[in-house]
Amino acid sequence: MLGCYDFCGHYEWTFAWMEEQGGHELVREYWDVAIRQDSQRHAVAQIAEEGIEGMKKYWGFTLDHEAAGFAMTATDQVFRIDMHECPSKGFLIQNGLAQYRDYCDHCMGWIGPLMKDAGFVVDHEHNHCGRCWWEIRHKDDPTPPSETGALSGERDVRLRPDWKQAAPPDTYSRATDPDEKTPLAHS
Amino acid sequence: MTPDTCPLPYHDTKPVGAADFYFAINATFRFILGKLGMEGLRRYWADLGARYFAPVTQKWTAGGLPAVATYWRAFFAAEPGAEVEVMEDPESVTLEVKTCPAIKHLREHGREILPCFCQHCYFISETMGVPAGLTVRISGGNGSCRQIFQKRDAVQARQDLSQIKEVTSC
Repeated sequence: MLGCYDFCGHYEWTFAWMEEQGGHELVREYWDVAIRQDSQRHAVAQIAEEGIEGMKKYWGFTLDHEAAGFAMTATDQVFRIDMHECPSKGFLIQNGLAQYRDYCDHCMGWIGPLMKDAGFVVDHEHNHCGRCWWEIRHKDDPTPPSETGALSGERDVRLRPDWKQAAPPDTYSRATDPDEKTPLAHS
Repeated sequence: MTPDTCPLPYHDTKPVGAADFYFAINATFRFILGKLGMEGLRRYWADLGARYFAPVTQKWTAGGLPAVATYWRAFFAAEPGAEVEVMEDPESVTLEVKTCPAIKHLREHGREILPCFCQHCYFISETMGVPAGLTVRISGGNGSCRQIFQKRDAVQARQDLSQIKEVTSC
């Protein structure tokens, strides 16, 4: 049986398998069709209906359920997550599992299209070590991402001494697509 | 259980997994079936068994049927909602799956379950078992089943896939 205890392991393995079968486009389609439109359809419905309130409810439940080390900050205009200990990436690091080039891309792979349909854009960085931050605003709100500490205070993951790694973080700016990042690794 | 003593190949800090991940497993099967057909889905399951689960096969190769029993006891202890009895004798290991945790959770949340969902247990386990000289036969499904692991040379008949029930969503 394929279980949920080590889900992140076979999920990450599946990205590489998909790429073998159908290239990068099949991986993108997998995140969008299988994960966003099917597996996470409850998140799609909640966020489409309730916007930032829906984000608070969805991620509050999900990240607690997955025992993540995270902080959520929300106003009427912006929803922010500071992920200090990503349970998913942490599982992969702990077990030495790395079949796909950047596991972290899967989040933008399904959340990006979700936010696009719901009328939001995403500022996001991940440092490939289980730490990332997200700021989600309405697409018509031109506000740039917050300065370090300005929105989530001491909980801002960018304040951690281990935030900066040898390689720069992958950065998304007002994005809704997993390939809208710098540096872009797959091409 | 520490990584040194746990019979599972991959270890988490949580004692059991998050059941909502069954949504993604079911969705992944449906996506592959739609894009690559039944042959592609069976290839996915077989590749998982041969590659992702290779560390389990190594333990089964070294430890034989007792290692199979040990693995499945630890496996189902980490799956939320599973009710499974693992019985072993010198010739076989039998899993009496009284409540499949995946089917249970998917049904509780009104998810449409792929009718051939239960076949994944056969194709993954069989591929895991072959290098260790083992084979599995499954009967039942749709929420409860029996899985018997034996030495390959003790079993002549091939798995009859019609013995694995299709899943109904409700």
